[in-house]
Amino acid sequence: MIDLIVFLSLLALGYGAGTWAEKRHYRSIAEREGAMIDMPAVTLKSVDIPEHKIRSAQLVYGSAVISVDYFKRILASLRNIFGGNVKSYESLLDRARREALLRMKEMAGDATVIVNVRIETAAIGKQSRRKNIACLEAMAYGTALTVEK
Amino acid sequence: MKFTPRQPGINVNVTPTHPLKELAILAGGLLTIVVGVYLALGLAVDLMVPRLSMELEKKLAGAFIGRLVETDPVADTTRSLQALVDRLQDRCAPLPYTITVHVKESDAVNAAALPGGHMVVFTGLLAEMASENELAFVLAHELGHYAHRDHLRGLGRALVLMTASTVLLGADNSINSMIGQGMVLTELSFSRKQETQADEFALETLFCHYGHVTDATSFFSKIPKDGDPGRFGHYFASHPENRRRIGHLEDLARERGYPPGKPLPLPADLVSKSKPS
Amino acid sequence: MIITNIESVPGKTVLEHFGLVSGSTIRAKHIGRDIMASLKNLVGGELKGYTQLLQESRQQAMERMIEEARLMGANAIVNVRFSTSSVAQGAAELYAYGTAVRVE
Repeated sequence: MIDLIVFLSLLALGYGAGTWAEKRHYRSIAEREGAMIDMPAVTLKSVDIPEHKIRSAQLVYGSAVISVDYFKRILASLRNIFGGNVKSYESLLDRARREALLRMKEMAGDATVIVNVRIETAAIGKQSRRKNIACLEAMAYGTALTVEK
Repeated sequence: MKFTPRQPGINVNVTPTHPLKELAILAGGLLTIVVGVYLALGLAVDLMVPRLSMELEKKLAGAFIGRLVETDPVADTTRSLQALVDRLQDRCAPLPYTITVHVKESDAVNAAALPGGHMVVFTGLLAEMASENELAFVLAHELGHYAHRDHLRGLGRALVLMTASTVLLGADNSINSMIGQGMVLTELSFSRKQETQADEFALETLFCHYGHVTDATSFFSKIPKDGDPGRFGHYFASHPENRRRIGHLEDLARERGYPPGKPLPLPADLVSKSKPS
Repeated sequence: MIITNIESVPGKTVLEHFGLVSGSTIRAKHIGRDIMASLKNLVGGELKGYTQLLQESRQQAMERMIEEARLMGANAIVNVRFSTSSVAQGAAELYAYGTAVRVE
């Protein structure tokens, strides 16, 4: 019985704290994306800028590691029985990648455009027994081009 | 190449379902499936159990019973109880079982029929007995459970549950230990129909052995001395179930025309254990 | 929606670009597929259940990416890349990203 109570309170804690942290993070992401909208990050290798105008080209990168809360993990294991989209993890992945992109843009400073952006993801955390600690590491890297006017 | 900053209005990568709703749906679905499987397997077990052979039952019983049954220190009591059970079995309740009686020191006023032919009688019960007929009724009632193989249904269900939980969650999980504990309480208690059938069996055995059924229900009518029947209090008259059972037995005795008679006193070995009632 | 893996759309000119678009899904397999896979482990061969699962994931990821591009007003996505990772046990995660452009 005590196990059940502990489980339920952890679940409630995970849900409460997790939802609050997620909302806060999303607000911050939306704000920063709005501020950095003028610096595009593209997967193209070139954006038709004549070479003599490029002042500098520099590799920039950004990474973020986001972890799940207990509530999401339980939802995912239930989903594992029935199949289908693991909706609880979708926001986790989304946040990690957008955060990585934003940090890459922050590193670029006042560059004009970041080209050849690649995004790598890796799952880290103790892969012990059957319970993975779900942490996702997202890394974005590209070449930041500064163009003289 | 011209760049136009645009933003999509919505986030395409996240499905907008509320997580609590998802939890409710998934957990509810899982619960329904588990309950459904449990019920289906219970039915399957009920169908299979009458076909289970004695040897197989003894083997299965060994796994569950080892903990409960130990060497008992009250050897004399055990011997005379065993003799009484053997006498009852001899002419009137021939079962293909060898029933082994175990006496355990405990205040619990109860007797139990465990798989494998092990009958457990608690000294608390012996203390309440006033005549041999009364004791014989209780023992014959347990024999009735054996005759109908009631104890196997609980055993079967517990086995099936443990197998299922082992498959889903791995061996040695918390559900298995819960079942091990819970089995003693829930699965070993018998349904109303099983109890009634065991009662009838006991009544017939008593009539066959003694020629009358006086004192058969006197145990039921006893009021517990300290007012609290405890966990296994279903033997006491205060339990509404018992009033029904007493009524049923009295009706049956009347229908079959069982004559009244004089009850026999308790065997000497057991008298010292009984308290004046 | 035109989708290519190269820098441009052959035969058309790119007029403007709108930045990065991406689509991601994470799909879990259910217990039935799991059991079939364990059985297949004995005899070998293609795990049709898992193949189908991953195909569905890829399909959905691309659909999401196309949706986002359309919301931005693009009509082509160029230089598309895929990336996968295993985030949770028994779940396949697929991520597709590219640059949303307008071609003519």
